[in-house]
Amino acid sequence: MLDDHQIASLVEQAKRGDSPAFEALAKAYLRAAYSVALATVGRPADAEDVAQDAMLRAFERLESCREPARFGGWLLQIVRNQALNWLDRRRLREVPNHCIPLEPILEDSARGPMGERVPLLRALNALTPVRREVVLLHDLEGWTHGEIALALEISEPMSRQHLFLARRELRRQLSEPLIEEVDHG
Amino acid sequence: MDDSPIDLSSLDPSREPERWKQLIDEVVEQARAAHCRRMSVAHQLVAWTVPALAIAAAFALVVWAGALSVAQRTATAHNSAADPAFVLARWAMTDERPATSAIWQVFGERYDRD
Repeated sequence: MLDDHQIASLVEQAKRGDSPAFEALAKAYLRAAYSVALATVGRPADAEDVAQDAMLRAFERLESCREPARFGGWLLQIVRNQALNWLDRRRLREVPNHCIPLEPILEDSARGPMGERVPLLRALNALTPVRREVVLLHDLEGWTHGEIALALEISEPMSRQHLFLARRELRRQLSEPLIEEVDHG
Repeated sequence: MDDSPIDLSSLDPSREPERWKQLIDEVVEQARAAHCRRMSVAHQLVAWTVPALAIAAAFALVVWAGALSVAQRTATAHNSAADPAFVLARWAMTDERPATSAIWQVFGERYDRD
């Protein structure tokens, strides 16, 4: 993880169009952007597109990043807005149904080695958006509670609380299908 | 109660490193291209058009307001100098004895206008 000084320096270089700075920032934050996008749009493929679009948008608007050292939090806000816009467009495009909105369809790829994604996505769908963001940033990205608190503008104890409740709910959700299978078996 | 991390690795986009690297490369390339576009002459011209027009409009407004003020003051002064009552009063106050031609000039202008 980069420190504040390094981030600010990279942002200043990126403002001047420096490609290595763009690359360093993308490497440092694209995964986090993906996690936050996934927390909203619920589909990994869509989340990748949203993260990519949001990162580009952020690079184009670097001049309006008033605190370069807080680039992460600023970027994640852009990601959140992009993801919500994406959801709106998806709702307009797709025929409404009552299925679970988080990747409900078992895609071919999901049946193979990536098959474990589906129950995870279903379980994540049961969480509130902020808990999804916290658990993805912590358990997938490896962010600390300090970093999460700063990026999501919540307190560290609140971040811990969200994580605790998110993990408990995820475990409960993930254990449910197994119980059903046992019952049916 | 078990509070160990949940294994979310199946959602990790960088599980396919080549694809993830390609994604980052695309972002970098597009960001670089967008920056070049912003720096191009045409884009700079477009970007400066609005502020330049605003400055020009503000300048024109200031000049127009100044000209209007000067014109009003000149018209007032001219009207006063041409008014026979004003001229007579001035002559009286300064104890001036005007030439006949000046008297005719003052009153003549008035007759001409009537």
